[in-house]
Amino acid sequence: MSRVIVIGAGLSGLVAANRLAGKGVDVTLLTKGIGGLQLGQGSIDVLGYAPDRVTNPVLTLSAIASARPAHPYAAIGAEAVHTGIEYLKALLGDLLVGDAEANYQLPTAVGAIRPTCLVQPSMVAGNVTDGARFAIVGLRRLKDFHPKLVAENLSRTPLPDGGRLEARPVLIDVPARDGEVDSSGLTYARAFDDPAFRDRFAATLKPQLNEGETVGLPAVLGLKDRGAWKDLSEKLGHPVFEIPLPPPSVPGMRLNEALTALAKAAGVRIVNGTRVVSARVEDGVVKGVTMATAGAPREFTGEAFVLATGGFESGALAMDSYGTVTETLFGLPLQGLDDGPLVHGDYWSAEQPLFSVGVRVGKDMRVLDAAGAAVHPNLFAAGGIIGGSSRWAEKSGDGIALGSAVRAADSIVEELA
Amino acid sequence: MSDETKPGLEFAGHEFARASLDACVKCTICETQCPVAAVTPLFSGPKFVGPQAERYRNGDSVDHSLDYCSSCGTCTLVCPQGVQIAELNSQARAVMKADHMPLRDRLIGQTTLMGTMMTPVAPIARAALHNKPIRTIMEKVVGVHRDAPMPPPQGQTFASWWAKRPKPAKAATRGTLVFFHGCAGGYFEVETSKKSVEVLEYLGYEVIVPKQGCCGLAQQSNGLFEQASASVLKLCDDLRNAGKDLTIISSSGSCTGMLKHEAHEIMGVDDERLKDVGTRIRDIMEFLLDLHEAGELPTDFATIEMTVPYHAPCQLKSQGMGMPAVEVLGLIPGLTVVESGAVCCGIAGTYGLKKEKYEIAQAVGKPLFEMVKKTNPNLALCDTETCRWQIEQSSGVKTEHPIWMVHRAYGLS
Amino acid sequence: MRKLAVDVVVIGGGSTGAGVVRDVAMRGYSTVLLERADLGQGTTGRFHGLLHSGGRYVVSDPLSATECAQENAILSRIQSEAIETTGGYFVTGPDDDPAFADKFLEGAKATGVPAREISVAEALRNEPRLNPRILRAIEVQDGSVDGWQLVWGAANSAKAYGAEILTYHSVTKIDTADGKVTAVHCTDLKSGEDVVIECGFVLNCAGPWAGQIAAMAGAHPVDVIPGRGIMVAMNHRLVNRVVNRCIYPADGDILVPVHTVSIIGTTDVKVDDPDNLAIEPREVQQMLDAGEVLIPGFRQSRALHAWAGARPLIKDNRVAAADTRHMSRGMAVIDHTTRDGLDGMLTIGGGKLTTYRLMAEHIVDAMCEKLGEKRSCRTADEAIPGSESGRTYLVTHRLEDREHDRLDDQIICECELMSRKMFTDALATQPKGTFDDLRRQLRLGMGPCQGGFCSMRATGIALESDHIDIERATGLLRLFLKNRWIGLWPILYGDQVRQTALDNWIFQGTLDVEHLPQPESEVAL
Repeated sequence: MSRVIVIGAGLSGLVAANRLAGKGVDVTLLTKGIGGLQLGQGSIDVLGYAPDRVTNPVLTLSAIASARPAHPYAAIGAEAVHTGIEYLKALLGDLLVGDAEANYQLPTAVGAIRPTCLVQPSMVAGNVTDGARFAIVGLRRLKDFHPKLVAENLSRTPLPDGGRLEARPVLIDVPARDGEVDSSGLTYARAFDDPAFRDRFAATLKPQLNEGETVGLPAVLGLKDRGAWKDLSEKLGHPVFEIPLPPPSVPGMRLNEALTALAKAAGVRIVNGTRVVSARVEDGVVKGVTMATAGAPREFTGEAFVLATGGFESGALAMDSYGTVTETLFGLPLQGLDDGPLVHGDYWSAEQPLFSVGVRVGKDMRVLDAAGAAVHPNLFAAGGIIGGSSRWAEKSGDGIALGSAVRAADSIVEELA
Repeated sequence: MSDETKPGLEFAGHEFARASLDACVKCTICETQCPVAAVTPLFSGPKFVGPQAERYRNGDSVDHSLDYCSSCGTCTLVCPQGVQIAELNSQARAVMKADHMPLRDRLIGQTTLMGTMMTPVAPIARAALHNKPIRTIMEKVVGVHRDAPMPPPQGQTFASWWAKRPKPAKAATRGTLVFFHGCAGGYFEVETSKKSVEVLEYLGYEVIVPKQGCCGLAQQSNGLFEQASASVLKLCDDLRNAGKDLTIISSSGSCTGMLKHEAHEIMGVDDERLKDVGTRIRDIMEFLLDLHEAGELPTDFATIEMTVPYHAPCQLKSQGMGMPAVEVLGLIPGLTVVESGAVCCGIAGTYGLKKEKYEIAQAVGKPLFEMVKKTNPNLALCDTETCRWQIEQSSGVKTEHPIWMVHRAYGLS
Repeated sequence: MRKLAVDVVVIGGGSTGAGVVRDVAMRGYSTVLLERADLGQGTTGRFHGLLHSGGRYVVSDPLSATECAQENAILSRIQSEAIETTGGYFVTGPDDDPAFADKFLEGAKATGVPAREISVAEALRNEPRLNPRILRAIEVQDGSVDGWQLVWGAANSAKAYGAEILTYHSVTKIDTADGKVTAVHCTDLKSGEDVVIECGFVLNCAGPWAGQIAAMAGAHPVDVIPGRGIMVAMNHRLVNRVVNRCIYPADGDILVPVHTVSIIGTTDVKVDDPDNLAIEPREVQQMLDAGEVLIPGFRQSRALHAWAGARPLIKDNRVAAADTRHMSRGMAVIDHTTRDGLDGMLTIGGGKLTTYRLMAEHIVDAMCEKLGEKRSCRTADEAIPGSESGRTYLVTHRLEDREHDRLDDQIICECELMSRKMFTDALATQPKGTFDDLRRQLRLGMGPCQGGFCSMRATGIALESDHIDIERATGLLRLFLKNRWIGLWPILYGDQVRQTALDNWIFQGTLDVEHLPQPESEVAL
């Protein structure tokens, strides 16, 4: 068995590790923390805006791949994204639904409408449609969800397909636990795992609902119990959907826990420690990477390495006080640094070029230098470390993560064979 | 800070942990993994008492809810940005307690003293520790909860056994190792220490057990930084006396952590002796895994048909080497090791002994106790002694150090 | 059209104007203060946060030094809530001339500024982040002050004496007749209503804008040179005392702990327009280098926010016009009677925040003299409402408060420990306020996440309050995020980039905030 080292436990790292292990490869996943999935919305964004609202992500991303050669999708290709989507769905069973050809259009916690491709079943009923009637329900003790803000913005927004919906706010008070008035979404999610709590909640809410309404709730409907939302819906006698919140994101945690458990079950050895601080390269080939483990640093050797360390948010990319941007592990060459100032003062108009900086990759996800040659023959990249796009603005980060993780894993398997 | 603040609290380490608060981006990941915040609203969570509150600290300690932090270290482990959250909390708590340290917290750290006193009268001590009225009085007077798990006094110390046993028949072929047994391994978990050295000798090593003291962990976690710093440096001297450049093996997961990083990162101990010992010390399962990775571990294990739950202690996880025990045990044919998936057993060293923290500690450990009972009601494995005592007491399942299984599988039991 | 009639109109809601309106009101005059923005949005809100001990001026400007020392003591007593008596050090950097410290000590003695040399070891023990290679250290009584609390405190005191404080009122015209000021015209920017205020006297306290106001009354040009300086707030208190370089005043020679941050400053560049103050990259680098001299590792620390303010300096013939640092910081009262043949108006320029009360005393004394009235100043004798206890601010206060009410109330801005009640109370007093108006009272969004987590909460709560509708709520959120960015992008590096990345992830990725219904025109006020 060969040894592949995956660095990073975000979506791309976990998917790459799972895919490699599934193909019989001995994988070690190194991570500083527990990945960033619980910071995100718990759905899979493939392509949301280009710059207009996207209805068919996989089709539009093909267009982007042709029109923008520096975009990650140009290297990844629509086919890999498609494969990634199907792979993830199969891996997670009933935790994600949707297809590569269509975006859901879901309400957000400020009342905007966000396009996203794969969603958790608990979110599906929120897909906006003309004539829909939503009751947006907030909890007094949950400060990250304000039903009036959501309902009134939704109501005044023309829907993507044309048409309008009606949304009204409802505010109730059901404590998540005694003695607490400032409960996090996670505390509520743990409460929702308890059927007795769901009974209490339904009893309080039901009398306030009108016939024919679909109930929109903050995304706290259970952490361990995947059926909690459905049970609640039955108790209420209304369809129910969840709206993702800022961190801690419960839907994100569900994905994180599921993918991590799957990786472990597949035999991936996960070492959660300190940052990977250096790499050992001999004759241009990466031989090992070292973690600053307590006591003495620890090296992990392997035949191939997947750099799935994320972008600026995770510190994989950094800009120092002189404005110098580096990839902090290997010191890899970066794209996006030569097009003028990286940061500008206009908040609402154009994106900040800084956040499109990242490594270049080839179609096999090998990291490339400016001349297009592989920096190291056995170093691959996946996810947010890849430059060339503004992932949050486009809503493309998860699709990039999936497609690149699958391509990297498959390229490595081919190489090792 | 008042002029009477003990000098042990003035340390560069504080600045190091404090400076790391800059890395906090408020992502809440630490809060979601904190086992104490999960079970009680009395603790506002690691982000709150760590990098967030630290920006407000200057002298006066005003946030006493900080005391609910168990210092399990999970927050630092899961933080993606490198904030030294647990270390910040430990330091802030030490400052908070400096002027009014409860007697109990001073006593509880005196592990060596307890061991020395209890060993000669082990059967009586053992009976006393399980005697309800005595425990009730202890709770009222000293503040140790009547149901909290107590260390099991043994009739013979490890040092005494070591001194009296015959030399191993086989000559050493692989070199010399120093064995650090720790207070628990010296006085209470003597069997674990015995099995550890027997395995090392079986593998062909010569084992040296120098006269050795306490690493100071219990004192450190109760905020007695001055005493803990003195203890840990004395221990470094003891271990260094055994010989230069030798690898030091420990089967006490948490003591290893104290030497590897906690004494430096929490108390700011910045001494060549600590650096030397800290880089040479290995947890025993870590050592076996390293041997295996180098192709040097005999894997002619006997088959042990068993499914056994394994819990990785917080202070082992925070050393950042993953879970070596799971990998080593995985080499034993027939043995299925099920990782607990639990964050913390709740004891957190001495935290769960305390009257006011006991219920919280039990709530923290509940998912683990249930998992253990469900997986194998007869046996569980865990690398740290206080965790073993907690698991055993609260789940009723006998809990051993993983080295017992290795010992068994090598046919040494 | 609204009509008012008062004795005195005070123009300018910075520390000068607030101090003046308080003094005027306490002396029994009916008065109105007009400020075109929120109080303290000019120079006062953009200063260093320093309550001078006077040490900085003992060699370069002895008169200012003495005044600062005296006023420091007075303000610490009467305006204690806004002030933290941090104490301060003057330290000789490794490459500075150690002999300057001797001059310093002599100057301190001569000007009455309390100063005491301490050992470098003691300084380093008390401030562990200080450069271990400093050569000498002198202890002084510097403090730090919240500029907005200061101005609002004075304004509230004035209100208690019957004054009216009109923020977001922009002066449009000053009427004169027979060489005398008769009325001031202004517009209520939030409602659009015009207001005419008949008055007997105008006190022009508009700082860098004083020239523009004077011109409205037909006066000859008043040379107020705006001296722009930038400030960078570092994410936490690298020091708990004010730390100054013991040198002749230069750029970036002071680091001040204010609330939860420490602020390095400042530069000094002559500009023309006080409404357009750039935060120049070169100056940011200069501040970081200056910080590195005081605190090794400064550049690795997190820069949180930057801003630029303009000092209002009266032109002084002794110094070249382009070098504004060495102009006298002394105040100047411009008497328009002699200068312009215009009665009923005085303009005040120059000065610094530490001596704001004294400045106000001088100008109101001058006004009384003009009016031929003997009314004495009592502003030093009476505490500002809220500061009666004399208890000064401690950085631990908010942590202590939240420790007590954490289980009874939600914490909305977690970084700055602002409770929900604090927010809703402030909202009730300023229902038409922007989130920045509220921020100045509460510190909402001023911590590490810079609004990343709290802006949405604030928006939701404000909307629930029923004072505003969904359009305004959404517009206020947009405005708040836009305004935060002004002070972020010039210092965006290191940890703050990671924060911005996470904040973008939340706002764009999860909330899709940029696709909320676009307003026809953005909310600006």
